Amino acid sequence: MTTPSRTEAPGAAAGAPPPPLLLRAGRSALSARMPTLAVAALLVVTVAASAVLQPNFFSAYSMTASFATFLPLATIAAAQTIIVLAGGIDLSLGTIVTLAAAVSVVLMDGDDARLPLALAAGLATGAACGLVNGLVVAGLRLQPIVATFATSSVFGGAALLVLPQPGGEASPALTETFRMVVALYVPVPAVLLVLLWAAWRLLRRHRFGQYLYAVGGGADAAYTSAVPVSAVRVFSYTAGGLVAALAGVALLADSGAGDPTLGTELTLGSIAALVIGGTRLRGGVGGVGGALVGAVVLSLIQGLVFFAGVPTDAREFVYGCIIIAAIALAGLLTARGARRPAHAGGPR
Amino acid sequence: MGSIPQWRTRRHAFGALAAAGVVLAATACSTPEAGGGDGGEGASDGPFTIGVSNGFIGSEWREQMLSVLEDAFAEYESEGVVDELVVESADVDVNGQIQQIRNLIRSDVDAIIVNPNSPTALDEVFAEAADQGIQIVAIDQAVESEHVTNVVIDQAEWASISAEWLAEEVGEGGEIIAVNGIDGHPANEDRWSGAQQVFEEAGVEVVANDFAEWDQSQGQTVTRDLLSSNPDVDGIFVQDGMALGAMQALQAEGLEDEVAITGEARVGYMKEWDQLRQDNEDFSSIGVPNPPSVSVSALHVVVRMLQGQEFRSDALDGNTLYLPMPETVTDENFDERFAEVEDEPDAYAVDHSITPEEADSYFQ
Repeated sequence: MTTPSRTEAPGAAAGAPPPPLLLRAGRSALSARMPTLAVAALLVVTVAASAVLQPNFFSAYSMTASFATFLPLATIAAAQTIIVLAGGIDLSLGTIVTLAAAVSVVLMDGDDARLPLALAAGLATGAACGLVNGLVVAGLRLQPIVATFATSSVFGGAALLVLPQPGGEASPALTETFRMVVALYVPVPAVLLVLLWAAWRLLRRHRFGQYLYAVGGGADAAYTSAVPVSAVRVFSYTAGGLVAALAGVALLADSGAGDPTLGTELTLGSIAALVIGGTRLRGGVGGVGGALVGAVVLSLIQGLVFFAGVPTDAREFVYGCIIIAAIALAGLLTARGARRPAHAGGPR
Repeated sequence: MGSIPQWRTRRHAFGALAAAGVVLAATACSTPEAGGGDGGEGASDGPFTIGVSNGFIGSEWREQMLSVLEDAFAEYESEGVVDELVVESADVDVNGQIQQIRNLIRSDVDAIIVNPNSPTALDEVFAEAADQGIQIVAIDQAVESEHVTNVVIDQAEWASISAEWLAEEVGEGGEIIAVNGIDGHPANEDRWSGAQQVFEEAGVEVVANDFAEWDQSQGQTVTRDLLSSNPDVDGIFVQDGMALGAMQALQAEGLEDEVAITGEARVGYMKEWDQLRQDNEDFSSIGVPNPPSVSVSALHVVVRMLQGQEFRSDALDGNTLYLPMPETVTDENFDERFAEVEDEPDAYAVDHSITPEEADSYFQ
């Protein structure tokens, strides 16, 4: 719920407020309050820097590899955003990714014919894990940060039971499709990224999408306005778990085989991505669009540190410093626009 | 929240989804071909750029692995065979290591030496690298990908050497406890299956088995716990990286002269071994080196692969080149071996790599 759609295109004029006509056109064209100004600026800067530092940044291989790298982090960032918007947080998302990927890979076992069943089971696993989190947080009223830290051990442990050691092969159809390009140049993961964003726009328009903002913006006020607060919380965790399972499938397609640790380290990255993308950690403000771009920026920065020739031992340090700067920048620029009441109405 | 405009935008979003679907369906899909990089197939004169991907840091063994590699690389560099070593080394999960390898691919390296975090989950990124004409060698832990040549020691054989020594020490019917690495880790499984086979054949009973993640202090804790629940054991089988900790637990119980324990070829443990030998002539131990210089052996091999040499038909077992097992540190050769490494830091592992000439013998 920050500045409206002024910023959906990185190239959009950022200075004076655009004329209402342009604003309206922008709104209806993409109906997009895509990322905030800050993350759009970061995207432009990181893409430009990557183009300069990486010799073949725009080559077909490089584009495919880049988007294949973006997609898992962007997807889990989207999942975390749904939960954070409704005022929660989920530290178990990374292990949900792991568990869903483990269930899928064990069931598909390198066989294309079993792919649909395996995907369905993986997604169902993710949603079920999310449901458990939601019930624990909304039903038992435990602090989300502690409750999901605990369930992360449960899900991580379950992943080890399902897949005790690395193994299991992803179906060839999955890994091959993931590496294709459509229209000669656009990698499939990029298409999936756009579809993810479009799905978010659908949810955003739905009553439950509105409720997410209402509950995250102020649970008491939402309750008195007859918003089913507990149901919305449970829904947000369940939806988050489902989307996290999609990240698991993306990782599986990317790696080609199962591993009982695949994805566990994505949790903190998902939180960093959504903060860079302008979502407020207290809930009620932000959106998935920003988080997706935030994840892309995060991945690009990681690559930049490497291609800038920073020695390997110093890379973590430099990366951390840049992330802090990026988060600070995002905070500075979004704080201004975020003054408006979170859910005061209007689909924006 | 007027319902009509809401419907409108929803229809737009549906439209976008449908349009994306149509694009997907109507456009012929394809897979990007190998880029026109200069890493083509077959022989080349170099100089070659070599990438290194290491997914676990903070262990002295890995540091030694990288520093000896840099030294060996400098030698090839002075000969003009190679020009740049691009190192990616950080604590990452499998996903992070996939990114490491993609960064190396995009840096136009000619070959990648990787210490893999997973035997299978890097398969696809290895295929991507091979597509770009990059040679890949995995060290320390073997991977399954057909695009990779493993340069490793045989972990089962490695473990069976100290297991045989221990079986001899405790005799048939002896009872031992085992302190292993990480449950489910491929190297751990290989080692333990090798050791178990020895114990079974020798009639040695393993009364308890636990895991201490190849960490000295955990090794100490786990050994102490196992000893307190099994005070009457005759021996301890412990993997490297934890033997010093296990020995300290044994000493705390005053059992070091009664319970036999497999040692390790690292300076810290060897110092203790030296002390115990001086105190008690009958003290016996064993240390099978697990050489960090496997990276150097791999460098010798990969340079020859880049120069277009072909493996001899008997050099590989599947896609794996098993390196010769380094000479074991025993009671007989201890003084001599200890003198060689005495001045190194405690964490230093007794090392060994194949010579360039030995590497030549793997090729036609």
